Amino acid sequence: MTTEELFQVITELEPSAKQSEKTSDRPTVEVPPEALVALMQKLRDDPRLSFNMLLAHTAVDWLEERLFEMVYQLYSPQNQQYLAVLVYVPRNNPVVPTISSIWRIAEFQEREVYDLLGVLYDEHPDLRRLFLEDDWTGFPLRKSYQDDFILERPK
Amino acid sequence: MGLVKKEEYAFDTMPGVDVVLTKIDYVVNWARSNSLWPLTFGTSCCAIEMLMATGGPRHDLARFGAEVTRPSPRQADLLILAGTIVKRMAPRLRTLYDQMAEPRYVIATGACTISGGPFLYHSYSTIRGADEIIPVDVYVPGCPPRPESLLHGLLTLQKLIKEGQTIRKPGVRHKPVISEIPEGVSREDITAEMVELLEHDSVVNIEETLGNLERPTGI
Ligand code: SF4
Repeated sequence: MTTEELFQVITELEPSAKQSEKTSDRPTVEVPPEALVALMQKLRDDPRLSFNMLLAHTAVDWLEERLFEMVYQLYSPQNQQYLAVLVYVPRNNPVVPTISSIWRIAEFQEREVYDLLGVLYDEHPDLRRLFLEDDWTGFPLRKSYQDDFILERPK
Repeated sequence: MGLVKKEEYAFDTMPGVDVVLTKIDYVVNWARSNSLWPLTFGTSCCAIEMLMATGGPRHDLARFGAEVTRPSPRQADLLILAGTIVKRMAPRLRTLYDQMAEPRYVIATGACTISGGPFLYHSYSTIRGADEIIPVDVYVPGCPPRPESLLHGLLTLQKLIKEGQTIRKPGVRHKPVISEIPEGVSREDITAEMVELLEHDSVVNIEETLGNLERPTGI
């Protein structure tokens, strides 16, 4: 399936999804948070696409744009095709729906993103810290994170 | 503390006794230095690049009597730290160290265990040096150190043990030792030194030993 065909199928399945303008080595679509779960379900279940592997989920902190960019990397072993799905949420109210009902592994990946960046996942079954101690305050991968332990490089 | 004084006095007035004691120390230290059982605390890149490579056949840690790597601290007497230590791991490392039997030695390898290395600045989690948690005998610098650096570090530690020194029982040395391979020294040199040491250590020359015994020690 060529990239054009892929985007055609995706927009047919979910009209609110559009091709991202970012340069990337793989097809990338952007979708509003409300449509994320529906789109993901269709990407996985549609027999033409069958993206049934969630390779990775992470997030990027865009401090100046005041956005969190959620990145979902999908792979279709059947078509040997990669796809990246992007969702933007405001930095001061970072809430996205969970996709752990579609891919079980997303449960842990979302916990990691919550742990390090403080993104909240709506209806996540078990949103706790994963790597850091339970009593940790703050989210250390945010660009604005500060604490007493961090050393600044001397000028 | 009268007892200790009495003993010292006894040693002083009985020539011959301290000769025996010195020799037992020598034998014990020799045995200890040549039967180091390492506990491998490998937590990141150093563990693969240096520690596992040193255990493999090309560099072969076994030549120095340190091949019985132990997954259990109860059976180990040398803790080889290889890799980044993070805050959450620090209490576990301390526990491992406390569980090891005496005498215990520690080699810290790589920039991470010496100072935090590449994660010194802007890190919210990396411990800045293993010596914030446990005493370290020998430091092996590098990022990662080459396998021969670890061998050099091990040799340094063996020399220290033979002299009866550790960080917990310092002799003339009060600071930990940085074991950096001097410039111009290659793997072949280290191997040669090792071979020489091993031959010297494993072949007991009876004549020479007897000669040593007869010689007055002059302590
Ligand atoms: S010193 Fe370098 S190679 Fe060793 S663990 Fe640290 S970063 Fe990795």
